[in-house]
Amino acid sequence: MTSSNLTEQIISAAKNEGRTLLTEVESKNLLMAEGITVTDAHLATDADEAAAAAEKVGFPTVMKIISPDIAHKSDVGGVVVGLADADAVRTGYEEMLRTVRESAPDARIDGVSIQTMAEPGIEVIVGSTTDPQFGPVMMFGLGGVFVEVLKDVSFRIVPLASRDASQMIREIDALPILEGVRGQAGADLGALEQLLLAVSELIERRPEIAELDLNPVFAYPDGAIAVDARVVLHEE
Amino acid sequence: MKIDNERLHRALNPRSVVVVGDKGPQYMWLTNMENFTGELYSVQVDPNEIPGIEEKQIPNFSSVAEVPGDVDLVICAVPRQVTPIIVGQAIEKKVGGISMFTSGFAETGEPEAIELQEKIVSACLEDGMPLVGPNCMGVYNRELGVKFNAQQEQGAGSDVGVISQSGTHGIGISLGAQRLGIKVGRTISIGNAVVCNESDYLEYLIDDPASPIVVMYLEGVKEGRRFFEKLKELAAKKPTVIWRGGGTDAGARAAHSHTASLATDTAVWDGMIRQAGAIPTESLEDTLDVLTTLVHSPPCSGKGAALVAMTGGQSVAITDQFQRAGFDVPELTQDSYDVLGEFFVTIGGSYRNPFDAASTIRSETENLEKILEVLAEDDNIDAGVAIELTTAGFDKDPERLDAQLSLLAEYREKTNQPVVAMMPEGGAVSGQAEVVVSARARVSELGFPVYPSFRRGAEALARSQSYWHWRGVPSS
Repeated sequence: MTSSNLTEQIISAAKNEGRTLLTEVESKNLLMAEGITVTDAHLATDADEAAAAAEKVGFPTVMKIISPDIAHKSDVGGVVVGLADADAVRTGYEEMLRTVRESAPDARIDGVSIQTMAEPGIEVIVGSTTDPQFGPVMMFGLGGVFVEVLKDVSFRIVPLASRDASQMIREIDALPILEGVRGQAGADLGALEQLLLAVSELIERRPEIAELDLNPVFAYPDGAIAVDARVVLHEE
Repeated sequence: MKIDNERLHRALNPRSVVVVGDKGPQYMWLTNMENFTGELYSVQVDPNEIPGIEEKQIPNFSSVAEVPGDVDLVICAVPRQVTPIIVGQAIEKKVGGISMFTSGFAETGEPEAIELQEKIVSACLEDGMPLVGPNCMGVYNRELGVKFNAQQEQGAGSDVGVISQSGTHGIGISLGAQRLGIKVGRTISIGNAVVCNESDYLEYLIDDPASPIVVMYLEGVKEGRRFFEKLKELAAKKPTVIWRGGGTDAGARAAHSHTASLATDTAVWDGMIRQAGAIPTESLEDTLDVLTTLVHSPPCSGKGAALVAMTGGQSVAITDQFQRAGFDVPELTQDSYDVLGEFFVTIGGSYRNPFDAASTIRSETENLEKILEVLAEDDNIDAGVAIELTTAGFDKDPERLDAQLSLLAEYREKTNQPVVAMMPEGGAVSGQAEVVVSARARVSELGFPVYPSFRRGAEALARSQSYWHWRGVPSS
């Protein structure tokens, strides 16, 4: 299947179900098909499937709940990291479903996503949304839990030129963190620019996408990878 | 029908103007237009108003159709119910355009008012008639003497063209800039901007010789994408300052994503303005501050500033502000220090950069000349000079300030670098409040940016330098 067909299939599947919000697995499959580096995520609907998926992606493994009703997965115990082997994944699956059902009894649960555990890096957020006056726009900022409070983010209108991508990264206050503080390695700013440009191109190519979050993206001294992703489609 | 730029050009640069519905005792519009260089006519049917108009010796008619010759601009100040009739007359007369002062349309939110606005808009669009407004102050043209405020200057030349969604800010920017020695070539107060919108005016200004620099006050735009594209085109050609008012942080649209919840109106506008290469500002002072530097400075993108203050304390303060604004305050070369060491009064003074120069400059203007000669030769300085000027005594000896400014003008000419004059509130070398004010006015008159605080001067210069950097002006 070509990447473009895969994207269309994911989009039309969601539309047929009357959904605008793609699951993490759908979002990541779409992004991967469109050439954006994300951690490989597989849907599993029972403990054995979860273990099998984990064997495929390799250990240690990350498991996250998939539910259209849960926005903040970690708040309800819906994220577990560092599962070392297939047994840990099986046990982890049962525990996660139990915990999530206790915390969010009304939430529909579609299963879990099983993915590689990425090496921690500097967390940044890359996103896109649709502005009522200017149409599709891109956002960049330092990721993590403080992004909503500090609002240290920059915006540009799609499509981005490389100068725009470069400036978006350099105009946030937290730039010194990306450049590396106290002897710590900085982030690969070139890779982040490429990521911004790739997402901008995706948004141009796929006008069905209304909102997109890559949050967090782990930025390394060499390269960057989106660890979580969320894609929202326009209402028809 | 699309609005024809030729007609908009006629409306904004009229040779003949008809004021419809002006009222005594002031006859504001006719009075503002007293020195208009073209033909001025009035249309008024109210028998109580006609004698006052005749007394002003302005020919009055009972409809636009009766006015002799071609009409370039109709200024419409009639009650709102009458506006469709006047628009009809203007269309029939094939006038250049209409500027509609009348308010009480869609901005009221009343259904009848919205309907009335739609009526005049569709008549104008069908005809291709440029309508400025409604609900606006309309058109100011410095050269031709078309004015919407009696204090607006008249004469040749232009430093800046202004577009404002608010009438008050249109006046505020025009008059404020004038007081700073800036020639405002035109101002368009665009009001509801329903026939000609923000992007149409912006497009007009791209090739407008009366707008070598552009300042806009905006609250929102109707065609966001087109506006962005036109703004990019404009800012690549002319320094463009955008003061955005009324931005709210009530973002939180469909908050499925973090990005959407963070995409507040203000944040997106700020990014859009930067992406286009324009200069964002947040207030009238900000706007005038950066405008003054843009008008009165050569294009320059350097970062190394020479700072000359009159006391030790102020030399620290001015350095803090320039560094905060992103400038370097570099050491000078050894050659410079060697020359400065020969004449500089170092007891109670310093020339390391920043300069603490009162004891050296106080005695004779000649020493300022020597300092500026050194700075002009010093390669570490590529962002020009910011200098605190003494205002105490200006009332008794104004020539001294003139002599200093003429040396600074020479420096600016020779180096192609900016000179920023600082006359801060309350400095040890400032005189009484009214003396400071008149000294500042003199500096403006002689064509220098002058600021009442180091912070404002540093920020204005930083904004201007980063614009020129964007435009690719090399730093030295």
